[in-house]
Amino acid sequence: MSATPPAWAEALLRSIVARGDRDAVSGDLLEAYRDSIVPTRGQPRADRWYVGQVLGFVWRRTWLAGLLFGGAFVARSVLDWRVPTQDFLLRSQVSTLTGASILLIVALLAAWRSGSLAAGPVAGVATAALGAIVSMLGAAIVLTFWHDPGTLTAADMSGGLGEEFTLPIAMLLPGLVLGTIGGVIGAGCRRVFDTRTA
Amino acid sequence: MAEVLGAFEQAVLLAIVRLGPDAYGRAILKEAEDRLEREIAAGAVHATLERLQRKGLIASRLGAGTALRGGRARRFYRLQPAGVTALNDARAAIEDLWRGLTWPLKGTL
Repeated sequence: MSATPPAWAEALLRSIVARGDRDAVSGDLLEAYRDSIVPTRGQPRADRWYVGQVLGFVWRRTWLAGLLFGGAFVARSVLDWRVPTQDFLLRSQVSTLTGASILLIVALLAAWRSGSLAAGPVAGVATAALGAIVSMLGAAIVLTFWHDPGTLTAADMSGGLGEEFTLPIAMLLPGLVLGTIGGVIGAGCRRVFDTRTA
Repeated sequence: MAEVLGAFEQAVLLAIVRLGPDAYGRAILKEAEDRLEREIAAGAVHATLERLQRKGLIASRLGAGTALRGGRARRFYRLQPAGVTALNDARAAIEDLWRGLTWPLKGTL
């Protein structure tokens, strides 16, 4: 049996797993894929199973940061809608700094843990994507409860409702950029640490 | 302070005990799936093994791979004394909770 899972998924898996565990973890998954999943489900479904397993690994490393990132968006929206202001500068600075810090830290930690630079952008984009889902769901839930004219006017003044459902998606790019920066820092620090302790 | 184990941590540790020298990632996953009678994500088992190793309850070593896994190494796990203690404590805690009750419980009490 020499069926092979999607190469990109395997590369993704190997990028986020700790260096010393890469062969063991990817080997375990490959063994299950070839030994029991492909024979019982066929290759297309086995490929989907494999991708699902890999996304599970990514999820376990980013779910908390994704919730925080999305939660920060929702908190900012609720503040703008319920406590409107004319000066959004301070709020923008605080929320931008919060979001950027979350993306940078999750990428840095992922890269430190795995020793791989690639883990940074993977973690950054995954966090931003999860945050986007949380943020859009959160905004929809908030609007379900608060949709009086005052709230809707405040929402228009703070960028409009459209922004609530487009800005989170646009955060994927900062996720990639900050994730890469975090990845460089995390993997670099890991390399220095490993060299000094070797 | 005694280590408090979650149910899934116990399932993984007991799988390692049952498998003995053959306890590596995928075998542990299959054993846990058989015992718990549900599908388990590989990431969940791997994260648990990492955590148990960090707590000092298990230790691991790399072993040879097979052709089926593309020659990639297998990581074999074994219980440490702290792991044995933690499992014994977990079992004792459950027995304490059940002491004086007849199992299985009847539908109406």
